[in-house]
Amino acid sequence: MTKVEKDLYYTEDHEWVRVEDNTAVVGITDFAQEQLGDIVYAEAEDIDTEVEAGDVIGSVESVKMASDVYAPAAGKIIARNEQLEEESELINEDPYGSWFVKIELNDPAELEQLMDAKAYQALVEESD
Amino acid sequence: MTEISLGTLILFSEEDGKDMKKTPLNDRHKKLGAKMVDYAGWEMPVQYEGIVPETAAVRKKCGIFDVSHMGEILVTGDQAGSFLDWLLTRRVTGKAPDQITYAIMCYNDGGVVDDLLVYPADGCYLLVVNAANKDKDLLHLADSLNLFRAENNLSADAVMIEDHSDRYAQIAIQGPESKNYMQTVSEILQSDAETAEAISGLKRFRCLLPDRGQHEPDTIISRTGYTGEDGFEIYGQNTVIWELWDALVSAGCAPCGLGARDALRFEACLPLYGHEMSETINPLDAGLDFFVNFDREFQGDKMQKTRKLVRLINPGKQIPRDGYPVFQADLEVGYITSGGFSPTLGRGIANALVIDNLVLGPELIVEIRGKQVPFKVVDKFLSE
Repeated sequence: MTKVEKDLYYTEDHEWVRVEDNTAVVGITDFAQEQLGDIVYAEAEDIDTEVEAGDVIGSVESVKMASDVYAPAAGKIIARNEQLEEESELINEDPYGSWFVKIELNDPAELEQLMDAKAYQALVEESD
Repeated sequence: MTEISLGTLILFSEEDGKDMKKTPLNDRHKKLGAKMVDYAGWEMPVQYEGIVPETAAVRKKCGIFDVSHMGEILVTGDQAGSFLDWLLTRRVTGKAPDQITYAIMCYNDGGVVDDLLVYPADGCYLLVVNAANKDKDLLHLADSLNLFRAENNLSADAVMIEDHSDRYAQIAIQGPESKNYMQTVSEILQSDAETAEAISGLKRFRCLLPDRGQHEPDTIISRTGYTGEDGFEIYGQNTVIWELWDALVSAGCAPCGLGARDALRFEACLPLYGHEMSETINPLDAGLDFFVNFDREFQGDKMQKTRKLVRLINPGKQIPRDGYPVFQADLEVGYITSGGFSPTLGRGIANALVIDNLVLGPELIVEIRGKQVPFKVVDKFLSE
């Protein structure tokens, strides 16, 4: 059963976003890790990178597939999860605990355009 | 999150399966919980438990694959053998009656139409071809046959070509323990003691036709595979393949999908059409010299080697993918034909096609998403 956590925002590209004050913490969803299968490599974009919504902020690779991870909104990367590069399998085990980057948002209201858990749940059920 | 490079399989297929061809084992894959994908127009299992454990099962024990999507083309007639000798990079005649020949079918310039196995069957030949290439192969065979007939003043029935792909389902039983499962196979096929012994005693690249004597065999068993491990492949009618699949899975053969199949063949340095060879990569470029006999005329015998294939391992963690550029110092010298994660080694590995006169050192550089990553040059990926 694919997990969708409450109180997060979601993108159509299967990223989750947790809001901490002015900061967006970004990872990939349970659905995304299920689709990818065994994840063997992940990396996050460098700190201080300025990003627009839709810019690449990381990548994740399974045995057969490479995928990009995208910024949900504009801002500056203020933290990257270095642990993922060494232990990328954590994304399979705990997708909502495995964040890629933290983005200091230019305008937190931009996140209102994303899906809530209910809308994302519907998207996942449709895709399954 | 969108896929940017898929190695050799298309995952995340949007198809709902309606327009795809299905193998006779389709329902069984779904019951086993396989992730199904569109592969060359077929709805095929890419994985069941996962590519990593399935690859390990074949390297250490035994796995079973549905490869019913492969095409089978029957070539019959008095001149069938001479036609194939003239067409392919290796002779199929003058061999033991159970000897299978791996050969390559080339265009005049040496570009590859397809690579195939040729099974002898009482004077006729069964060509086993890649699913994605079958239609193209049939056209090329028909064109070539017209030329061959005209050059040799042959009657229409001297060589005949028929697509018999719908007659055969096919499974592959692969791994160091595969021989242990041949008893189960013999029971299902209701083989007598002598045949059962012949099945488990098959030598590499030899085949057995239990119903030999018919014009076209119903069942073929061969000591072949595409994993680099010992193994058998069985071609048969749907009902037999259903029984074999069920019995072998119950007996402990791990169901394995196309993902593991690709990882296994890649780790074992076996070429894949569209990657290591193609219409623009000839067999010599691909390092397949052993499978090209130049001591006679054949279609493509003018081919020249301009590139070579080298194998690369990443000591670090990034994964190389198909098409990534390869550098020596600052000079771009080639690109990756197959790249991916080796489940057995736990590393990123790649085949790179580079200029033939490149003097190789211990390292080449692969550019991964704009970063220069040093890779080790190796002879092969797996040590014996």
